[in-house]
Amino acid sequence: MNKSLKVEAGVTAGLSLVLLVLLPCLNAFTSDGSWLHVSDFTINVYGKYFCYAILAVSVDLLWGYTGLLCLGQALFFTLGGYMMGMYLMREIGTLGQYHQPIPDFLVFLGFSKLPEFWKPFSSFPFAMFMAIILPGGLAALFGYLAFRSRIRGVYFSILTQALTYAASLLFFRNSLLMGGNNGFTDFKFMLGRDLREPSTQRGLYICSGAVLVLVYALCRWLTTTKFGKIQRAIRDSENRVLFSGYTTASFKLFVFVLAALIASLGGVLYVPQVGIINPSEMETEKSLEAVMWVAVGGRGTLVGPIVGAFAVNAMKSWATRAFPDLWSLLLGLTFILVTLFMPKGIVGLVGQLQGVWQRYSAGKPVVEAKPDESIAPDLPEPVEATKPLAKAP
Amino acid sequence: MGRGGAGCFTPLLTIMKIFTKTLWLLVACLSVLPGLSLQADPAPGPANAAPAAAMPSDPVRQQLVQAILSTGADQQSALTALSGSGSKTASDVLSAWTRSEVYLYPAPDGSKVPVILEDQQDANGKARAIRVIDGQVLKDASGKELRYADGDLDTADSDMRLRSVIQQTLDTLALADPDPDARSSAVNKLGHSKKEGYIPVLQKRLAVEKVDEVRKAIEEAVASLQLNDADPAVQIAAVRKLAELNAMGSLDMLNDLAVSTQNNPQLSHEITGAVGAINAHIGWVNFFGTIFHGISLGSILLVVALGLAITFGLMGVINMAHGEMIAVGAYTTYVVQNLFGSGFDFHITLPFSVGGNPIAFGLNLPGLNATGWLYQSYFLFAIPLSFLMAALAGLVLERSVIQFLYRRPLESLLATWGVSLVMQQIFRMVFGANNVQVNSPAWLLGHFAIDDVSFGYNRVFVIGFAILIVIGTYLLLSKTPLGLLMRAVMQNRAMASCLGVQTTRVNMMTFAFGSGLAGLAGAFLSQIGNVGPSLGQGYIVDSFMTVVVGGVGSIVGTVYSAMGIGTADQVLQQLTGSPVTGKIVVLISIILFLQWKPGGLFSIKSRSLD
Repeated sequence: MNKSLKVEAGVTAGLSLVLLVLLPCLNAFTSDGSWLHVSDFTINVYGKYFCYAILAVSVDLLWGYTGLLCLGQALFFTLGGYMMGMYLMREIGTLGQYHQPIPDFLVFLGFSKLPEFWKPFSSFPFAMFMAIILPGGLAALFGYLAFRSRIRGVYFSILTQALTYAASLLFFRNSLLMGGNNGFTDFKFMLGRDLREPSTQRGLYICSGAVLVLVYALCRWLTTTKFGKIQRAIRDSENRVLFSGYTTASFKLFVFVLAALIASLGGVLYVPQVGIINPSEMETEKSLEAVMWVAVGGRGTLVGPIVGAFAVNAMKSWATRAFPDLWSLLLGLTFILVTLFMPKGIVGLVGQLQGVWQRYSAGKPVVEAKPDESIAPDLPEPVEATKPLAKAP
Repeated sequence: MGRGGAGCFTPLLTIMKIFTKTLWLLVACLSVLPGLSLQADPAPGPANAAPAAAMPSDPVRQQLVQAILSTGADQQSALTALSGSGSKTASDVLSAWTRSEVYLYPAPDGSKVPVILEDQQDANGKARAIRVIDGQVLKDASGKELRYADGDLDTADSDMRLRSVIQQTLDTLALADPDPDARSSAVNKLGHSKKEGYIPVLQKRLAVEKVDEVRKAIEEAVASLQLNDADPAVQIAAVRKLAELNAMGSLDMLNDLAVSTQNNPQLSHEITGAVGAINAHIGWVNFFGTIFHGISLGSILLVVALGLAITFGLMGVINMAHGEMIAVGAYTTYVVQNLFGSGFDFHITLPFSVGGNPIAFGLNLPGLNATGWLYQSYFLFAIPLSFLMAALAGLVLERSVIQFLYRRPLESLLATWGVSLVMQQIFRMVFGANNVQVNSPAWLLGHFAIDDVSFGYNRVFVIGFAILIVIGTYLLLSKTPLGLLMRAVMQNRAMASCLGVQTTRVNMMTFAFGSGLAGLAGAFLSQIGNVGPSLGQGYIVDSFMTVVVGGVGSIVGTVYSAMGIGTADQVLQQLTGSPVTGKIVVLISIILFLQWKPGGLFSIKSRSLD
């Protein structure tokens, strides 16, 4: 146990060294034509993947470790992004299309003065404060209401989906004064540095990678504590935990808020790197995509979501260029196949194949990789809780 | 019970199996042969109906020619004679005359022939000329068609006075239009003209008018015109009449009159009373209109959610591809419509090739080129077909994906979301990324009104259809052997299995039935909205909510919650003045409602823990 922990720490440190120190150095200190050179584009894309990986870890913390499939993680991610976006919009100053001291879309809507709630966002610390308070507060409120009335399993998923849907409808409205369906874009500066400079992008890349490592370490530590054990116990049999005297609702609420904060952090780092934030980012599909990264990578492990986020997004970048029409076909098929045949994802693939190999070498007939039923006992047979619609004749 | 019940599946199942096999064969054929198309001879398009040759002796046309060529009293009498004819030709020619678009062709024998130039011009800006006398194309002696530009011919003269007489004739003509709706709108136009000269015309029409709505419109128009009468007694009578008729269209006129008649206290008093009465009436009309819209929206939700209530409520399967089953139904309607029309074809080329040949396949189905009532009846064939197609799609989905996931509901959610992505992409490839055009049959267009509240036929149809579907589903579940088996398996799968029920088959049938209901919903969503690849996405959240609020596993609950959510949505739209705000309020209320009743409206009491 202790040894494997050491190995893990070593691998993590090695990987972070390569990704967070070597790659940026190669980007900064080698010339354009050199075979060692890492392009600005690559740095930017990887930085984006880091943010996705942060989001994926937050999904896994909820789904893989606590058994709560939340279809609203993209909402928290986007809320964080919006708070950062508001600060970046204020940083543009008078350099916008209309050369006014207020954001362009407000000029377009006929405003000549900044609305009151926009004013404090000129300060970076305030924007960061709001990026914690808003998603955290929303998660706390919603989680309190949901867990108090023991909404769980599928119902929890559907309710989070509805929450996300309502929020995206709200953000699509111009009258919210958050940019409507165009959202925020055209950012120029961040903390006094030009966002288009490669060095700024490199800084953001290192920052995202460092945050990912920290989040990973935090979650890794959390899963080894007693809290982590209770968390997994809730996933496997919530009633048993409840009857052992634990208030499962409080545990779930804590994990839910923590996951929301992690997702929001991902969003904060994401926006300055892609340069745009709009309400389509918070639609249900985005949450489901994040869930898919976790499923592909392997849920219930912390490496899985990171591997999944990188693998699926790399595949997406390739497929949207090679076969633009077939990308969603490919995504859908991957999702079906992974759910049916690879319940443990890429990370669990080795173990799965080993099992098949052992059975094969032992001379037993090879059984098709049957989905493991013990992995997600979220709900018992749905059958037990139903009654006849009408009396039998 | 178990044996006999299970037996009833066999014929149905055989049919389904054969159907599935045929489909696979078809798909296999299509994909193996690159570039194959089932080409059929392009069927000839519907022949352009030749303009019906009008009899030269048509009295209306003769009167028109007479009116154009004569002067003075003869002209007057010809126009008066025309005003009672109610003929479309007459109004077309007369309105062309007021625009100076009736031309006089000097015939070789010295007489003048009134003609109208066609809208369609050739390259030289010239158009064919149509004779007013018989509606035929003007030809010279050798039989060659004559073409003219605007300035080539003299126009039939009309001075200011004549034009106003023609205009009056046109207005009266409109009053005799065979279509009651056109008559009503003509009457309304006269009522707002403020020309008292029309009163006798309108009263003459009132004497012969038989349709009640038009009679009411005429009375309203006469009273509106009388408001400008010089005699206060007539004015008061008119105001009372308008109040009695609840004339909503006259509200502005009454308000204007109130301003100008401050000095007549009795009249002002009457007007205030009338305005109050009409406003109250408008309030009621809006109220009932909103309720009606709410119920029709609720019916749509109901049909969409009913399928979900079966698959999600009874089987515990989260089918994110339910929305795509709706789209299957809608696209089936589209294909059936095209088969009744000019045919349907599609062609897909995949972006990679095998041995230099691009992989492509397509299908070309010839159409019936039906017109008239046969074409209008396409929807009646589309309804059962969309049920069958969606049920078939559901069957394939159940066999290929869902049967492995019955014990893992969260993962069935994810896998079916993958299915939904795949299906949307297939729709895009086959039908294109844009919305397709589905024409409503004529008998679903239009509306009727009861006391100013208008009821669209398509909405009434949706409500009636929803009632039928609910009753059908109820009967199927409670009165048929299949329904009995469904309920048995849903309640206790293990026990049902022990008693000899083939649970896998029951699952299959239940899922196919639920999907088929979604297909039905798609068939009539195609009549009231756009049909596109992401049609289903707009309904998926709403329908899940409907099932959850109603109480999972309860069909009655689904009915109540669909109606409740539909009506609440419409009422809140009215109150908040924006559809989006209304929707947000509804969603938040649902989340709060579940705090109070976590199991939904009709929650099922159970001693089991989870």
